[in-house]
Amino acid sequence: MSAENLHDRSVHAPVEIHQDDGAVHVHIASAKFYVAIFLALVCLTLLTIGVAYVPLGKMNLVVAVVIASTKAALVATFFMHLRHEAKFNVLMFIGALLFIGVFFAYTMNDTERRGELDDAQGVEVFSETGKAAPGGQPVMSHEDDEHMPRHLATGGSEVK
Amino acid sequence: MSDAITSEAPGSDHEEHEHAHPKFLAHHFDTPAQQFDTAKLGMWAFLAQELLFFSGLFVAYGIYRSWYPETFAVCSHLLSRPMGGANTIVLLFSSWTAAMAVRCAQLGQQKNTSRFLIVTIICAFMFLFIKYLEYGHKFHEGLLPGNYFGHQYGGIFGSIPADAEVPDLPAKAHIYFGIYFIMTGVHALHVMVGIGVLIWIWRRNERGEFSKEYFTPVDIAALYWHLVDLIWIYLFPLLYLID
Amino acid sequence: MGAATTTHVPTASHDTPDPNENYLTVTKGVWSWLATLDHKRIGVMYLVLVTAAFLLGGIFALLVRLELFTRGETIMGAETYNRMFTLHGVVMVFLFIIPSIPAALGNIILPIQLGAKDVAFPRLNLMSLYIYAFGACFAVYSMLTGAVDTGWTFYTPYSTTTHSAVIPMIMGAFIMGFSSILTGVNFLATVHKMRAPGLTWTRLPLFIWGLYATSIIQILATPVLAITLLLLTCERAFGIGIFDPKLGGDPVLFQHFFWFYSHPAVYIMIVPGMAVINEILSTFSHRAIYGYMFVAMSSIALAVLGFLVWGHHLFVSGMSEYAMMVFSALTFLVAIPSGVKVFSWVATLYKGSIRLASPMLYALAFIFQFTIGGLTGVFLGMLAIDVHLHDTYFVVAHFHYVMVGGTVFAFVGGLQYWWPKFTGKLYNELVAKIGFWFAFVGFNVTFGIQFVLGSRGMPRRYYDYLPQFEKFHQISTVGSWFIGTGFLIVGINLMYSLFKGKKSPRNPWNSAALEWQTPTPPPLANFTKVPVITRGPYDYHLATEAELAED
Repeated sequence: MSAENLHDRSVHAPVEIHQDDGAVHVHIASAKFYVAIFLALVCLTLLTIGVAYVPLGKMNLVVAVVIASTKAALVATFFMHLRHEAKFNVLMFIGALLFIGVFFAYTMNDTERRGELDDAQGVEVFSETGKAAPGGQPVMSHEDDEHMPRHLATGGSEVK
Repeated sequence: MSDAITSEAPGSDHEEHEHAHPKFLAHHFDTPAQQFDTAKLGMWAFLAQELLFFSGLFVAYGIYRSWYPETFAVCSHLLSRPMGGANTIVLLFSSWTAAMAVRCAQLGQQKNTSRFLIVTIICAFMFLFIKYLEYGHKFHEGLLPGNYFGHQYGGIFGSIPADAEVPDLPAKAHIYFGIYFIMTGVHALHVMVGIGVLIWIWRRNERGEFSKEYFTPVDIAALYWHLVDLIWIYLFPLLYLID
Repeated sequence: MGAATTTHVPTASHDTPDPNENYLTVTKGVWSWLATLDHKRIGVMYLVLVTAAFLLGGIFALLVRLELFTRGETIMGAETYNRMFTLHGVVMVFLFIIPSIPAALGNIILPIQLGAKDVAFPRLNLMSLYIYAFGACFAVYSMLTGAVDTGWTFYTPYSTTTHSAVIPMIMGAFIMGFSSILTGVNFLATVHKMRAPGLTWTRLPLFIWGLYATSIIQILATPVLAITLLLLTCERAFGIGIFDPKLGGDPVLFQHFFWFYSHPAVYIMIVPGMAVINEILSTFSHRAIYGYMFVAMSSIALAVLGFLVWGHHLFVSGMSEYAMMVFSALTFLVAIPSGVKVFSWVATLYKGSIRLASPMLYALAFIFQFTIGGLTGVFLGMLAIDVHLHDTYFVVAHFHYVMVGGTVFAFVGGLQYWWPKFTGKLYNELVAKIGFWFAFVGFNVTFGIQFVLGSRGMPRRYYDYLPQFEKFHQISTVGSWFIGTGFLIVGINLMYSLFKGKKSPRNPWNSAALEWQTPTPPPLANFTKVPVITRGPYDYHLATEAELAED
């Protein structure tokens, strides 16, 4: 006697039965194709090194990240077979990247904007000096900070 | 224990015994395809958590780079671009060999799979060796994380000559090197785990456990190895190539 | 996933099916447990460890409450007190609540509800049990070598400067995190790939939906805890300066990192609790869960929203005002899926044939207490109100109403609901109800009064307090004794049933759910035949008399 008899198939309901043979079928790319991807990756590496010597200011970071992302996309799509992967697996990969984006964006929304509202509203915290509330990372002096390494005699984030 | 319900399943009874549990198929799976897809899904979930694991380091990097841009620019010049570049190529090459190993496994070419796996493992060791040289150099110069920054840990890598040039560094340089060592250190740890996994897979391949029908572990191990490569692809420009 | 080839069972005994043979009796000896790959046995081992952790954390809690009975020193000094409340938090969060429902109850029930023979990766499952035990060893080591006095949140800069054993404890939490991740990976793959024929996504039990949502959080959030704790270890060991203001770092950044995990972790704790409640409510109201798809999707919504609101723990930490506004606004959104669940549960009860068995009492208490815990969370999400209430007993009461009044009640309710399934034994219903009433009354006395304490300004984690708070603290402490007594009664009752309990019929609660359609306790392969699913788990109108019968 077992009750799962009662889930009888004679009660009609859609039942998923795979009609295939149950064996593993994958897409196999040619060796030449993999070589081509590798060469593309090498070229992009040389490109990113080259670009590092061109002064682009803030764009430097953007260019470096764009090139790195292109390389990463090549590796993920072809070496890791994401191109032929199940949709849900692709979704997980992209989802993970989205959550990393949330982590970045929300944290930086704080760290980049601390104290802005105080500035805008003229909030004064140190009444004796009339100074606005400190925000972000103040430039600190390290002369009396014994934790500072020996060649960091003076403070400030400027290059000595 | 075969029963009425299951043998009624349409289009399946004629195949039942052909595919009935080959040796590699775990008892709780029905078909090799189900086992393969499950393993892949599990691995991608694992890779997703790896990405999130590294994300914390990248967020810390992003914030401190934006707070102390000059420090980061100056400090990145203290890293060896030739070594970093060489390591990038080594890892990319190993990624290619890993992909080729999977391809050979898919085609059932056992010998070639082993060859590509060995090349991948050698590349991994090369990567670690170059990293070791770089770390040694940083130790010499006292470019160490946090508290140890500026200290001369001569004992480990030979002592620093008294007249050694110590570069002038901006404040917060110790944070840059803290981040550098943790990012590359955690990455190197992944490389070491990868070596272990690849050696294990190579041994299993030597024993002839894999075939055209069953190459899942090779595939899974390669996915892990590609992820290690993927992380380095970002680490290299972000740490070594700031203007 | 054809039903065609699923007839292999790895034991020789299946040729001669013995009606009395089940997963508990199929093999014998200690080793057959320690090296088992059977998800049910792994779940039972989790249950033992998790219950031990609950007992330990509970003792810490009772000691903390006892110390607060009078002003000044009652039974321990301030230093010890700091360690006690920290250990209470760490043990309850990392050792008990996070693995409680998913890893212990879920491990046993999830594959059965899916009609699967096992989880997708049985060896990984065993490994995550041992990783959990290994991490717990670190935690115990830390307790024996000076413990931790930072609070379970390990905030910098105190955690980098205190002299207590912080590193072993965070390594313990780090290691247990991987256990949680691997369980998540395992469950995700199991739900996707191991469902019985006919078990479509819309026929999934809501317990499965809840654990599925939990797995997503475990996979995406827990690694961030790992890296945070690793950075904290490096900060303490090497002074890398990322979190230490003295070295140019930012302690608020630690809070961001910590809560990026730990807020979603709150949903790792509560979503499985909600999931259990669905099963109990449906069974004891003899009715389908109202708004099935909405309840299922609200679990997923909670999983996703959980990642967007962590900043509400930082409202008084000096975060940017713009970030605060965003986090506050997003926090209110959490009330929507939570509300969907509560309304659906209440609607499920409406016109149901309600049977007030002991698991049902826990489910009803859950709805009551979770609603209070959830609504007070909305207060705390408001910027201006939070400035007043932050770090007071109001917060303590709020999250205990969710974590204890919610998750722990769901855990105990679920444990009693599935106890016959796990063990094949029936416990004494009257004693179980007495235990419930002790716990229920005790809980509401202990923490209800803390809302008042908090709103009048009693800060949390303080060793001493002003005279006007003494009465409230004493009421709260007396309540804690009732909770202790209640759960002790429950524990003894269950233990007693193991030895002297009546044998359970197949379906003691007359439930329509799949896990009750297999023998009780289940055989090694969960089902004697691969089930083919033709209806949802709550479709009482489609269930046959035989399915709902006790035997």
